[in-house]
Amino acid sequence: MGMENPNLPPRPSSAASLFLSSAPVAGSEALVIRSAPQAFSQFPTPPFSSGPVVGSQGSAFRPPPPGSSNELVRPTPSPVSSSYGPPPTGFQRFQNFAMHSTGQAAPPLPTAQPVVPPGPPPTGPPAGPRTLAPVPILSQPQPPSIPMRFPDSTKTEQIHTNVHPSQPFSLFRPNSQPSSTSMGPSFATGWAAYQPSFPGVANGHPNSVPQAPPLHPPSFSSQQGAYAPPAPASPFLSQQRSYGPAPLATSIGYPGIQTHDHGIAPPTGTPQGMAEDFSSLSLGSAPGSFDTGLDAEALPRPLDGHLELKSFAEMYPTNCSSTFLRLTTSGIPNSQSLASRWHLTVGAIVCPLAEAPAGEEVPVVNFATTGIVRCKRCRTYVNPYVTFTDNGRKWKCNMCSLLNDVQGDYFAHLDASGRRVDLDQRPELLKGSIELIAPAEYMVRPPMPPLFYFLIDVSISAAKSGVLEVVAQTIKSSLDSLPGYPRTQIGFITYDSTIHFYNMKSSLMQPQMMVISDLDDVFVPLPDDLLVNLSESRNVVEAFLDSLPSMFQDNMNVESAFGPALKAAFTVMSKVGGKVLIFQSTLPSLGVGRLRLRGDDIRVYGTDKEHLLRVPEDPFYKQMAADFTKFQIAVNVYAFSEKYTDIASLGTLAKYTGGQVYYYPSFQSSIHKCKLKHELTRDLTRETAWEAVMRIRCSKGVRFTSYHGNFMLRSTDLLALPAVDCDKAYAAQLSLDETLLTTQTVYFQVALLYTSSSGERRIRLHTAAAPVVTDLGEMYRLADTAAIVSMFSRLAIEKSLSYKLEDARNAVRIRIVKALREYRNLYAVQHRLSGRMIYPESLKFLPLYGLALCKSTPLRGGYGDVQLDECSAAGFTMMALPVKKLLKLLYPNLVRVDDLLLKSYPQIDESDIIKMRVHLTVKSLDTRGLYIFDDGFRFVIWLGGSISPDIGRKLLGEDFSGDYSKVSLSPRDNDMSIKLQKMLFKFRESDPSYFQLCHLVRQNEQPREATPTSATKCINFSSRSDEKGPTSLTPCLHPLEQNVYA
Amino acid sequence: MVKLTMIARVTDGLPLAEGLDDGRDVSDADFYKQQVKSLFKNLSRGHNEASRMSVETGPYIFHYIIEGRVCYLTMCDRAYPKKLAFQYLEDLKNEFERTYGNQIETAARPYAFIKFDTFIQKTKKLYQDTRTQRNISKLNDELYEVHQIMTRNVQEVLGVGEKLDEVSQMSSRLTSESRIYADKAKDLNRQALIRKWAPVAIVLGVVFLLFWVKNKLW
Repeated sequence: MGMENPNLPPRPSSAASLFLSSAPVAGSEALVIRSAPQAFSQFPTPPFSSGPVVGSQGSAFRPPPPGSSNELVRPTPSPVSSSYGPPPTGFQRFQNFAMHSTGQAAPPLPTAQPVVPPGPPPTGPPAGPRTLAPVPILSQPQPPSIPMRFPDSTKTEQIHTNVHPSQPFSLFRPNSQPSSTSMGPSFATGWAAYQPSFPGVANGHPNSVPQAPPLHPPSFSSQQGAYAPPAPASPFLSQQRSYGPAPLATSIGYPGIQTHDHGIAPPTGTPQGMAEDFSSLSLGSAPGSFDTGLDAEALPRPLDGHLELKSFAEMYPTNCSSTFLRLTTSGIPNSQSLASRWHLTVGAIVCPLAEAPAGEEVPVVNFATTGIVRCKRCRTYVNPYVTFTDNGRKWKCNMCSLLNDVQGDYFAHLDASGRRVDLDQRPELLKGSIELIAPAEYMVRPPMPPLFYFLIDVSISAAKSGVLEVVAQTIKSSLDSLPGYPRTQIGFITYDSTIHFYNMKSSLMQPQMMVISDLDDVFVPLPDDLLVNLSESRNVVEAFLDSLPSMFQDNMNVESAFGPALKAAFTVMSKVGGKVLIFQSTLPSLGVGRLRLRGDDIRVYGTDKEHLLRVPEDPFYKQMAADFTKFQIAVNVYAFSEKYTDIASLGTLAKYTGGQVYYYPSFQSSIHKCKLKHELTRDLTRETAWEAVMRIRCSKGVRFTSYHGNFMLRSTDLLALPAVDCDKAYAAQLSLDETLLTTQTVYFQVALLYTSSSGERRIRLHTAAAPVVTDLGEMYRLADTAAIVSMFSRLAIEKSLSYKLEDARNAVRIRIVKALREYRNLYAVQHRLSGRMIYPESLKFLPLYGLALCKSTPLRGGYGDVQLDECSAAGFTMMALPVKKLLKLLYPNLVRVDDLLLKSYPQIDESDIIKMRVHLTVKSLDTRGLYIFDDGFRFVIWLGGSISPDIGRKLLGEDFSGDYSKVSLSPRDNDMSIKLQKMLFKFRESDPSYFQLCHLVRQNEQPREATPTSATKCINFSSRSDEKGPTSLTPCLHPLEQNVYA
Repeated sequence: MVKLTMIARVTDGLPLAEGLDDGRDVSDADFYKQQVKSLFKNLSRGHNEASRMSVETGPYIFHYIIEGRVCYLTMCDRAYPKKLAFQYLEDLKNEFERTYGNQIETAARPYAFIKFDTFIQKTKKLYQDTRTQRNISKLNDELYEVHQIMTRNVQEVLGVGEKLDEVSQMSSRLTSESRIYADKAKDLNRQALIRKWAPVAIVLGVVFLLFWVKNKLW
């Protein structure tokens, strides 16, 4: 504001003569020019579609006054208006705009103005680009393209507002915060005055008339010709009426935001788009019928797998990809009151090491002698959104707007448009995601080598189930591909009622086994050689792995000294750090950290003590996890027991050390071998970042307050992550520090400092910008369901650790209900959809995902529904799951494949399969069909009751009609089976994080006892969403719906 | 016994490699590492030191050799034979130059040759025990002469830079204080002047006052 004040003096005079001559237009140009540099200073490269246009406008003015480039960057007040743009051209432009946006209305406009100063001018703005949009299309045969029209409409506002001098100046500032009351009157009148221009529409909806007495019909009669009644009447009206409630109207004062509007929602540009927008807004009974029953069929279901906010990415092309950072809503609320009305949390899901989208490698930058360029005050790293000023000698931090000096060897001149001349060679100023080579100041010690320490339970159950064999084989086969050759270190401990260490000194032929039976005071028998360099001791390690299964083949020991073994591993590793992989087959029963059987007392369920079953019983585990994190050790837990193993306690180790829990209930080597092999191999060989810390910085005024996921908080905002990889994501919730955000854009920067397996210390940076919005509707429009669901699932799982499951589920429901009710309050009245549930386009899948979340393994049911271990394991897994995989888990893919198998496609394409996805409802299941159900963790092959026996026989062999639990889907020697295997392979390939085991289910057949529990659950899962789809959806949506009305 | 091993580039003090689980049995390893780092910094500042040197610090002693713009440094117990320590460094140097000799100048990031630590570990183990046959024979070998290698104290070595800092600090203090002195002198001068003439002025004043009173009264 302050900065613009100098502009005030020249204006009244020019405004006075406005209606007679073209002089005022020059004034308005000054405004246009002023807005141009703004865009410039904010975005070094044009960030959204309006950018270039605004920029070119600015440059269009440049030629007449020589040497005005400076003024473009720094707006100077009055002289600009006089020196820029000779009046006639300005006038032409004015006409131009008029032609574009209001058809033939241009000539009458100037004459009409003096009569009603406050009336008509704002009409343009509040009706805004949206309402105006269809008009030219109707009045002119060919619709102008969006980028063309849209600068005009923003200019309309500026020119219009410029027209009447009485208007408070604050209205001009795009980022100023005029209170809604200040614009109320002009706004209401504007809106009212606008009414008569749509007589037909207004009559169609009588209740709108009393609210809108036409103020100055005459002034508008001249324009009426221009506004032909639009064809899609109701959408138009509703849209227009949405500006009725004063506070939420994005209005005159916010051209900037309205431009965003447009950039984001192209559909609003055309009448067809608008019609679509609104028809999808309504959900429920068919129009006309008054019953509030919900047609489950009408509920939108996602088929495209995951949701992307494409338009947002277009808005800020230098933002990092959404796979790295996703905001729950890309519109950041500008005030706390607005944030509190947004019931879906504001936050971000961060997956710092996600695999970059194809073709977009994360560039590596080495500042070498320059040192890393960071802001002095807020320590933000240099990024595409910083601006260079003072001819390149200073740069302005985009987070805290501090002017930093540019170091000598980082200096580069600026060209005429304020860009650095060496911009092309500076990936850190072009890309949202980069990787920096960290100098020595970022190391507390030399980069550690990748270290794997295996802690293997060798008690009787492990030997019997065949775990040892599979584990030993898998480790041996992945020795070659362990990251970090030749520095990789490796070590083993096995334990039953005693702890066995192995000396693997490279000079030995066979490993030496040392048995420690004193569990109370564990000591390490050797100073070195328990942890050896893999490349040197390769032979010994292989010899050990070969002999491991046979060594414990006949072990009859049922005890498991888990805690002491863990401590021993800690002592051995603490000098280096690394990763511990624990293979646990029974409940820890000896020494510290011994656990007891919990959860078989039915009475606990449903009471306030229920959650205690989901948290570790013994503080030892949390303490141990804290120690591990301190010494950069991550823990991955593999659990195999058929009985209770207290995953809730064991998983705590993984939770606080950034690890992962893998659970194979009742492991049988014949069934689960592939799965364990695949997942262990992936765990060992995927690219891992070691001894990492992560911090998310954001602009002044907002702050990340809480973090959710598997990690340990080292200080208030520093996440300690001993090991990170592409399968881990973290959620962070945002809160507003100040009551009012005055900036237009908020920036986020994720910085992950880590050591790569090759021994390089690196910093991975993801920078993103998001607009600040003043309007709740805008937030809804920019919402990202996928991120919201991810956030909710983490919050709900966390809640389930301290409350009942029921409470956790309810919390999710209540949030969704509140959000939808809020939205309804915003828009329902003007939509006249009293009996129906409405929701924004961006959130159309939210109710469905919310429901799926409530029915997901960690949140479902109570006793007898999901086993405690399974619930905990799924909880730990979901806490770390990246957005895409989580969505797939919540709403799995269902594909009908029998047609494909019968037809002779030469090659099955991935895109074909995606196209063939069907809804997860009972109606989409054909009894003659064969379906694959894929949730990213398992496949269910569903065979219809009357499937052709030919298919069955070919796929399953002769025992097709027999007991399915005994049949496995092994490859058979016929084309159909081969094709199915190929297809499954394709599915697996597309999602390599986990291995999906096949479970066979036949329609109307109860799964046998012998079927592994996971399969049973999985069938339950499929049956709840497949067979009982509508019945299970409806009752859940009913209360939802009714609450929304309430 | 070798406690610490570090290899750094002399030109800018950039660390190139370091023994991995070094400092396992040194309680305040970080303190000594810090000392080593400032030592490197000193070297990179061009305080030209001898290419072989031993520096005492607390219960330990640093030995280093500088060869081909690379400094190989190790920290040992004081009791550990100097000869063996330098043999150890010599071994490291030969291997390092053989493997990375041509890349030393182009290394741009710290610990660029961290892979060398496996070799450091291996070599270190050979030198761990002074009483093995191999090491005893090395000790008896008169080929390698270490007697003329200077031994200095770490405070002395690090002190060189400190002393310079001290001198510049002192000189700057001198300037500022002389300025204060000049101001004070001026002030004193004025006071002296006042002290000198004040009585005279007062007497004259009284006289004039008396005269004036006299004139007025009369």
